[in-house]
Amino acid sequence: MHSILKTSLAALVAAGVVASSAAADGHALAGELNIISDMSNPAPRAVMEGMAADFGALHPGLEVNLTIVDREAWKTQIRNALGANPPDVVNWYAANRMRPYVDAGLFADISDLWAEPAFEALASTKGAMTLDGAQWGVPYTYYQWGVYYRKDIFEQYGLEEPSNWAEELANCQVLLDNGVKCYTIGTKFLWTAGGWFDYINSRTNGYDFHVALARGEVEWTDDRVRETFANWRQLIDMGAFIDDHQNFSWQEALPFMVNGEAASYLMGNFAVAAMRDGGLDDTKLDFYQFPVINPDVDFAEDAPTDTFHIPSGAQNMDAAKEFLRFVTSADVQTQINGGDALGQLPVNANSSIDDDKFLAQGFDMLSNNAGGGIMQFFDRDFDAEMASVGMEGLQEFMVFPDNLDDILERLEETRARIYQ
Amino acid sequence: MFPKPLEKSSRTWQISYQLLLPFALILWLLPLLAVANFSIKPEADFVNGNYWGLPSSFEAFSNYGRVFFDSNMPRYLLNSLFITIPTVIGAVALSCMAGFALGIYKFKSNLPIFFIFIAGNFVPFQILMVPVRDLTISMNLYDTKTGLVLFHIAFQTGFCTLFMRNFIRALPFPLIEAARVEGISEWRIFLYVVLPLMKPALAALAVLIFTFIWNDYFWAVVLTQGPDAQPVTAGITEFNSQFRAAYHLMSAGSIVAALPPVVMFFLMQKHFIAGLTLGAVK
Repeated sequence: MHSILKTSLAALVAAGVVASSAAADGHALAGELNIISDMSNPAPRAVMEGMAADFGALHPGLEVNLTIVDREAWKTQIRNALGANPPDVVNWYAANRMRPYVDAGLFADISDLWAEPAFEALASTKGAMTLDGAQWGVPYTYYQWGVYYRKDIFEQYGLEEPSNWAEELANCQVLLDNGVKCYTIGTKFLWTAGGWFDYINSRTNGYDFHVALARGEVEWTDDRVRETFANWRQLIDMGAFIDDHQNFSWQEALPFMVNGEAASYLMGNFAVAAMRDGGLDDTKLDFYQFPVINPDVDFAEDAPTDTFHIPSGAQNMDAAKEFLRFVTSADVQTQINGGDALGQLPVNANSSIDDDKFLAQGFDMLSNNAGGGIMQFFDRDFDAEMASVGMEGLQEFMVFPDNLDDILERLEETRARIYQ
Repeated sequence: MFPKPLEKSSRTWQISYQLLLPFALILWLLPLLAVANFSIKPEADFVNGNYWGLPSSFEAFSNYGRVFFDSNMPRYLLNSLFITIPTVIGAVALSCMAGFALGIYKFKSNLPIFFIFIAGNFVPFQILMVPVRDLTISMNLYDTKTGLVLFHIAFQTGFCTLFMRNFIRALPFPLIEAARVEGISEWRIFLYVVLPLMKPALAALAVLIFTFIWNDYFWAVVLTQGPDAQPVTAGITEFNSQFRAAYHLMSAGSIVAALPPVVMFFLMQKHFIAGLTLGAVK
């Protein structure tokens, strides 16, 4: 992989795409570039090590030091790392997850990078990288969410991919009449319910409302939020979801779909590999974008984005910015998101993707059909504490929908306390 | 002290005992059997919900093959050895000497020192997590095998010293007096008189500490990360990807990780039991 990457990079340099950045610097990069990465799982780790090595090879005068920290541990270590003796580049997440570090002045404003023409290809996530009107990082990978469904079951009962809520409910009724659940879900670890809320809320009230709610600017007891839950409740009252879903992890909910007891799954693209392992090939498995509920609002899509940032205390700002240009360039994004590497979607619209039905649909959907905006998923868009209380409430709602008033009161109390 | 031999109990009790025993055994081993079963299943069985049934295809070779040839598992196993063996040697050597001093010499602070060693055993080690982590970081020992070894030695020596001191106390003191009369130096008394007599205690302790350290998960997670230093207990989670748990590979890895202590136990069973009861029964 490395050699391919190097060849493509050489081509890139030759093509002069980097010429603008080289001209901006005007001199060769020197000194040290210290990177702390949370890409600690084996495949991402290899990707990160490869990128650091290749970047070092491109800039012989520069000493690239890479430290890889356990992904979970990094979530608590980042504040320390940014505070005392900060590195030049770090990994983090988009949207509201950046908020604490932007507010504390620990991330550097890199709006100047985003103003460069090359960054127009990253437009789909510009909103997610923007806080307070400035950009604070760059994306390197994301993956789509959507409804994965059993094509063969849909064909058996003569169903089509639904494009609006009425068709969705009608499809579901047909399935239920034939003893098949519409959706499998495992809410044991809560977050899966967050995906449902993201979609129903953004399709009902729009991306801007969803983001305002995530920022704590709207009360949970607002009528528009109640409307979201009323739409969700239609599915729950039909019995659309599998029974006892609170006992399953997302993986443990897969057998229902693989064995044909449920027809579809609202999930991230990482589920495809597991479903294929379970024997669902492309003739049995397909994907559709979550249907329209309110025709007045544009599509907003969940696509959790992983990012690179420059700490405001970085010592080698020039090299750090050059590294961000490097990781966002079309060729590098193509390489690192390939099937033998991260196996996800490149953010750069000029990248190419692996020949895979689901990646192709996802890339097209996120690049061309997500006009509302890109959501980062419930637990990244909302404040961390709000998200954890919120997801408990969502799970409770799915099991006991009659408790809705209680749940909303509780979430509202939490919101008032956190965002006051 | 010992339970009544089975032959002396009534016939009905003997029969019910023999009937119940296999059930109890299976119940007891059920989790282990499940892990063993998981370890020979293909990944598809987990997606299909076939958790408890027979494997749909026999994948022992591919699963264990991947564990040994397609992962960092051999590296982790080596790390475990490099952590466990120095710890056993260090803790046993230190505690032999400390036990000798506390068991043989009469000096004023003898008992207080001994109590300090014992008191160390009463500290729940979890409360040391943050200070020890900070200490290893500031000593530049974080994420190194040396750091883990030093900490384990320090923490195990308390228990080992208690064990050794009591064992040496129980040796016939006249032996040492006789050696002193012969004019042998204290150092040589330790080496040539006491140490040979301590062989059963050494063996028992070594086996015990080996299993303790090999099975340690807590400190492995707190003080190390990544395949450079992490022992096998913590390394098993490497089979998980960011989104999915690879149950079949984790099960195979767990079996491999659990084998050395089990082999150790069967080879050294006598010493192991001696270690657990030594000093408890006179």
